[in-house]
Amino acid sequence: MEGARPTNSGERDRRSKEPSPSELLDRSKMLNFEFNGRRMSAFEGDTVASALYASGVRIFSRSFKYHRPRGLLCVSGRCPNCLMSVDGVPNVKACTERVRAGMKVKSQNCWPSLEHDIFSVIDKIGRFLPVGFYYKTFINPPIEWSRVEWIIRRLTGLGDIEEEIASATGKGPKDGRSIHSSSFEHLNLQADVAVIGGGPSGIFAALEAGNAGARVVLVDDQPALGGHLRYSGETLSIDVATGEGAYSGLKSSAVASTLEKAVRDRPNMTVLDNSTAFGIYESNLIGIVRGNSVIRLRAEQLVFATGAHEFPSVFQNNDLPEVFLGRGIQRLVNLYGVIPGKRAVVVSNNDSGLGVARTLMDAGVKLEAYIDSRKAVGAPETLAEIEDAKVQTFLGWAVKEARGSKHVSSVVICEVDNEGELVHGTERVLSCDLVSLSTGFETEAWLLNQTGSRTIYDELLREFIPRELKPTVYVCGDLTGIHDLNIAIMQGKVAGLSAAVNLPAMERSSELKVEYQRKSLETYSRLVSQYEGKYREGMKRTRGPDVLVVEYPGSDKMRKRFVCVCEDVVAKDISLATFEGFDDIETLKRYSTVTMGPCQGKMCSMPSLHLCSRVTGRSIAQTGRTVSRPPYVPVAMGALAGAELHPVKLTGIHYKHIELGARIMDMGEWKRPHVYTSVEEEYKAVRESVGVIDVSTLGRLDVKGRDAGKLLDFVYTHIFSTLKVGKSRYGVICDDAGIVLDDGTVTRLSETHYFITTTTGNVEFVEEWLVWWATALRLDAYITNVTAGLGAVNVAGPKARDLLQKLTTVDLSSGAFPYMSSAEGEVAGVPCILLRIGFVGETGWEIHFPAEFGEYFWDTLLEAGKEFGVKPFGVETQRVLRLEKKHVIVGQDTDALSNPFEADMAWTVKFEKEDFVGKAALVAAEKKEPERMLVGFVMKDSTVAHDGDQVFSQDGSRHIGFVTSSRFSPKVARCVGMALVSPEYYKEGSLIRVKSDDALSGAEVTLAPFYDPEGKRLRA
Amino acid sequence: MGFLLECPNCGKRDVYEFRFGGEAHKRPRVNSSSEEWMKYVYMRENVAGVQQEWWFHRLGCHKWFLAIRDTRDNSVMRTFWMGEELV
Repeated sequence: MEGARPTNSGERDRRSKEPSPSELLDRSKMLNFEFNGRRMSAFEGDTVASALYASGVRIFSRSFKYHRPRGLLCVSGRCPNCLMSVDGVPNVKACTERVRAGMKVKSQNCWPSLEHDIFSVIDKIGRFLPVGFYYKTFINPPIEWSRVEWIIRRLTGLGDIEEEIASATGKGPKDGRSIHSSSFEHLNLQADVAVIGGGPSGIFAALEAGNAGARVVLVDDQPALGGHLRYSGETLSIDVATGEGAYSGLKSSAVASTLEKAVRDRPNMTVLDNSTAFGIYESNLIGIVRGNSVIRLRAEQLVFATGAHEFPSVFQNNDLPEVFLGRGIQRLVNLYGVIPGKRAVVVSNNDSGLGVARTLMDAGVKLEAYIDSRKAVGAPETLAEIEDAKVQTFLGWAVKEARGSKHVSSVVICEVDNEGELVHGTERVLSCDLVSLSTGFETEAWLLNQTGSRTIYDELLREFIPRELKPTVYVCGDLTGIHDLNIAIMQGKVAGLSAAVNLPAMERSSELKVEYQRKSLETYSRLVSQYEGKYREGMKRTRGPDVLVVEYPGSDKMRKRFVCVCEDVVAKDISLATFEGFDDIETLKRYSTVTMGPCQGKMCSMPSLHLCSRVTGRSIAQTGRTVSRPPYVPVAMGALAGAELHPVKLTGIHYKHIELGARIMDMGEWKRPHVYTSVEEEYKAVRESVGVIDVSTLGRLDVKGRDAGKLLDFVYTHIFSTLKVGKSRYGVICDDAGIVLDDGTVTRLSETHYFITTTTGNVEFVEEWLVWWATALRLDAYITNVTAGLGAVNVAGPKARDLLQKLTTVDLSSGAFPYMSSAEGEVAGVPCILLRIGFVGETGWEIHFPAEFGEYFWDTLLEAGKEFGVKPFGVETQRVLRLEKKHVIVGQDTDALSNPFEADMAWTVKFEKEDFVGKAALVAAEKKEPERMLVGFVMKDSTVAHDGDQVFSQDGSRHIGFVTSSRFSPKVARCVGMALVSPEYYKEGSLIRVKSDDALSGAEVTLAPFYDPEGKRLRA
Repeated sequence: MGFLLECPNCGKRDVYEFRFGGEAHKRPRVNSSSEEWMKYVYMRENVAGVQQEWWFHRLGCHKWFLAIRDTRDNSVMRTFWMGEELV
């Protein structure tokens, strides 16, 4: 816990006096937030890192393994040095996380504080913890490892998920992430041309494509477009040849604003800012994360303008706080008005280092020295300016070592020879409190590679640049390995125009327009080649030795030359691992864990490659790179999951059940009434007078056409082509393995029209199944799912006829309307299909009607039935009623292995049909002994068995099956049920034992229904 | 999976609009051997390459059609109705 003394060693109040024109800050608005319990303040627009740095914080984290102090390095979300816990979310990059009022920020992986971490003692014993040490130690005795592993895991790592997570304050894309999963959402977008990267080349690509008439979506991860123009602080001098002379003499950030406005003003352009593309998937699907949204962007053409990032060179103690990447310093100064350091040393091997030197000089920081490993620079005018300011310049020199305890206090520099080795004896020590490294660019080809497009190592540029591009893929800008604004703009134009011209739709548009576009393309492309050629010549002229990883006599003993700052892998580790045999880049990665940390290789991929190639003697091109896979940045699981949506299906009568006080249950996606008052009451009503139940959840299908009967004959085991019009029949569907898939009733409404019911929840499957067979057999049959369009109610009981006859002129008498037949007519003025079928074993009708009449129909039935004591009954009562009749429910009394014979439904299989689905399997099954049979049983005592209880032989010694359904039967006054048992028990009167609640209770098998076995009441 | 599948009726759609219906293979005659029926019911070619397969447009026209797809990279050569294999 920090006290009143300055936090964390640095000077406070390191803000520039005057706001810079390129700042993202609004200095008129102050925000307060908490850091490790202390109150801190920030300007609106500050990131957590810029606000903390301005307040004097210099140590931002402790490293993964050695607990070394780490400070800001990249200031762009590409390194692990500023990971902190923000509002309970671990591993947040403080340098990209905008400050929100009331934010709670905590440091990670240190104790008791960032400033003083007792675990930094591990750093002192580093020699005993080389790469892969955990593979070679604590092997014997084996018990040691589990203890040691526990300790190792507590001492290392990145962040914890807190038990109590603070509630998030902001929810929109600009306010950062929320930790409540319910606020994530998914969006779908389409574009003709997607441009990934909103720097100068990306902007021009988007503008050209837009001008050509394409719909463009531009994706950029920053809050403002313009890429490095926003923070480089340069005054531009653009080549007149490209026609961009208008920008000459302007500040780069002003040009960035102008370009941004140009893009945003266009109607056919969509700009996704604060959006990170994390993966490219099949058919040009781009996954983008933007705050709490995941955007799925589908594009015909992809333009990659993803740029390049810097990485640090490798020398002793290169990980000390206040060692920055050059562009990181430019961001701090120009975007956040923060002045880092007082005495700076700028190290470089390319011209961007000159730009950083100028940025520091403009900000009033004293430059101790400018060090470049090249003997000549590409922009000698800038070098002259630096020399004029009395800054020491060292051309052909490099950094050997950084010194300091918790931050850099001096550097040792050394001359380099032509092979890149440091010249022993030329060392100089320079005092400083800031080191800037512009020691190389790596192209951001991660996403590009995911398209299958390849990159190859260019020896001259020393970068992996795009080569074999897949169709629909275009590249421009820093991504091509060329770091020149003029060329980037031209490349952007070529990429954007090519992408637009190659759109399929564009081929068909006005020929004249397309012709003009092709001519422009030729001109631009020629210019690009010309200028790229000149650029390369310039590179050849100024080419210096490769000093990425400093080597000197005895350097292999130096243990703190960090290659991977995420995983604390030093140069010696890489050499050791390669020497041990892990000399392929893929195995080296996995053994040493280099590139496997939060930065995923952005800081360490190139240095580890260099080392590996040096040790193995292979070229860098031969060494290659590891495969890049999505996601490019960590993406929250909640973001990938999207909004928590639970679709629910309600019948048209649902709210009436609520009114009646029913307890509602889930049946798949449907909500159904479980019971209204009590099962006893409802049961009594159905058996003694009349009950009504809402069965609108049943699947209903219309099957029409000349071949409708033929189709049903083939798909069902029974025969339906001979079913008379106005009759209903029970049907079972099997697959070609003879397994029961579904059952239902089939009613013939006309010669070419059948009306089918299926089990609740199965209608989608049955529809697909029927349509497939109709397609495969080329039958003239059309299937429509009418479930949602029709409500359905079952009116059952001895008084059902009396009730219904009051409401309809259809003759419901037993003679005119026998069991298993149907009629169409009006009931209570509503057009209906009446089916006289029976699930519960009483006289009854299942009535289907247009769903919108649901509530009216229900109310009318209950009103008309008052004189008979009508009661609504729920699913539970229905279960008891049907169980008493031993009616099978597919999926309850059958499982994935049940064929019709086992389910005691042999009568539904008509072998006289020439062929039907499952015939061959069922022919074979009929010949064999079944493996089990479905039987009914009655418990001997008052035990109530449960669905799923296991069944044993009479003496309890053999396990013979299990209970499929079981309920207390008011009729029998005992528990009854159905069970799948060994076939020898398929005999009336067999004695079995059911294991219910750990006790074996006796039961007797019965093959007939428990209630009205002859079905007299059903047919009354 | 993120690829686009072209329904012959509705046009190019996201693959999640469809239900995969398995490899297209010939159903044996009813009186074929049990060996042949066993193969039909339980065995599949499962090629790492181009295959012909069924798809159902469940979030669209509710029709079944066939596709020729390379299972290694999900590139779809063509989609067509049953009966139009050799167009």
